Amino acid sequence: MKDVAVLGVGMYRFGTWYDVSNATMGREAGMAALRDAGLSFRDVQAAYVGHIFAPVMTGVRVMKEFGLTGIPVQHVENASATGSAAFREACLAVAAGHYDVVMVLGFDKMTQMIQQSSAGTSAENLEDAILPAAFFALWATRRMHERGMRAEHLASIAAKNFNNGALNPMSQRQPDKHITAEKVLGARMVAWPLTTMMSCPIGDGAACAIVGRADLAKKLRPDRPIVRVTASSLQSERYVPGHLFVGPVVGPAQMTIDTSKVVYEEAGVGPQDIDLVQVHDAFAIEELEYYELLGLCKPGEAEGCIERGDFELGGRVPVSTDGGLIARGHPGGPTGLAQIWETTLQLRGEAGKRQVEDAKIGLCHMMGGGSVCAIHILERD
Amino acid sequence: MSTATRTRVPIKAGFFSVPDDPTTPPKFLVTRCDSCGEHFWPRRTICARCLSEQTSDLEVDGRGTLYSYTFVHFPLFGSMNVEHMEGYGVGQVDLPQGPRIQAPLAGKQGDFRIGQQMQAELDTLRQNDSGHDVVIVRFRPIEEQS
Repeated sequence: MKDVAVLGVGMYRFGTWYDVSNATMGREAGMAALRDAGLSFRDVQAAYVGHIFAPVMTGVRVMKEFGLTGIPVQHVENASATGSAAFREACLAVAAGHYDVVMVLGFDKMTQMIQQSSAGTSAENLEDAILPAAFFALWATRRMHERGMRAEHLASIAAKNFNNGALNPMSQRQPDKHITAEKVLGARMVAWPLTTMMSCPIGDGAACAIVGRADLAKKLRPDRPIVRVTASSLQSERYVPGHLFVGPVVGPAQMTIDTSKVVYEEAGVGPQDIDLVQVHDAFAIEELEYYELLGLCKPGEAEGCIERGDFELGGRVPVSTDGGLIARGHPGGPTGLAQIWETTLQLRGEAGKRQVEDAKIGLCHMMGGGSVCAIHILERD
Repeated sequence: MSTATRTRVPIKAGFFSVPDDPTTPPKFLVTRCDSCGEHFWPRRTICARCLSEQTSDLEVDGRGTLYSYTFVHFPLFGSMNVEHMEGYGVGQVDLPQGPRIQAPLAGKQGDFRIGQQMQAELDTLRQNDSGHDVVIVRFRPIEEQS
């Protein structure tokens, strides 16, 4: 992708905000991103908005919070990958020369979805018997069988993400004490071997990115490095034998391998060049599998890398530096944009106590149920 | 357990058979691609592998091999069966024809192991307004194999 940059980012902290509306969260995240970019809403030429749990029209209505300027507003939905897919559409539109400045906004109130039970679930649906946690627990059992993984490996990943979340002011879970693997193992069992602390929480929140021409980034904020979007890929499933058509949350592992291959090629980098990574760690077993599928280590090596601390802050390639879905949270629509927020701050050197030293290249990976995989590579000039 | 006299209806039609005789195990309703031979569950019109529109519908036995399993520590959604209140097993079972099926499992955590032979059975979730048993398909480990 050529000459597309992240001009600004903003978030409304993820959490259980029963009394805060999508409009409020979206407006605050959006205004934070505009201020960060040094822009006003007058400068925004188009908007891509993502939410999963709110009714139709919500995106267009929430955009009115910024003022009514007549710009095109487009809803984008791709389950958990909604924010990532909206970000991709904005980047493609800028790269194609249609716009100079585009807003990408994601928000959701998962707490409301749980209260109203309106996520399309019904007792008449064959698939609803199987919780997402159960689906990913099946990955874990299989991994134990094939590679000798133990629940302690998953607990290590979750503990790492909790402790990273403690360093992120926008994280939903910000433990005030160091979280140990023992604590994670001792949490309530959801679907063996996954405990509640190996699973993402239910939450609300918003996140925004302003995407635009890279030369504008230099003009608007000459005081800081340009963060470019150098690659974007979104793929759906390719058929492989044993494909699950009923019940699964996400499809074959092959999809992440295929999607990452495209972005590495487009950006002209390899996994060994990546300084930090965000993944779809809705459950700890996912993060473990993605280490290998993204090429951060060889197949079968993930357990050893976890034991060595390779993916911790200060390790070989830190993963889920902001706490990931497990700690930072996963409201739905804004989740992929929270990854962009984190990676942008890291590449600018503005990530505070969780800063990855001299971070130049970051990768953001999201899965969306159905399923799709979206990956972006961001690079600092 | 449901009584043998009550009519059983599937939670959703078109996925598995519901034999009149409660001692007869259900079959899976699958599609075979006439061009490449791949089998699919549930049924479909176009082959997902080779895109052929030449396909045939058939019923296959509900026997297969356990690929992976877990035990969920929550009540089974939509079920009024007390057995489901303290949790339920979930597994993926590979049919010999190819399809991998994800479904609840009968039994406790310790009953399951990867590679064991499984048999499909119907399990009652609740009664509907007409007084019929609403059934879902699940797998049970085959005793003689363990």
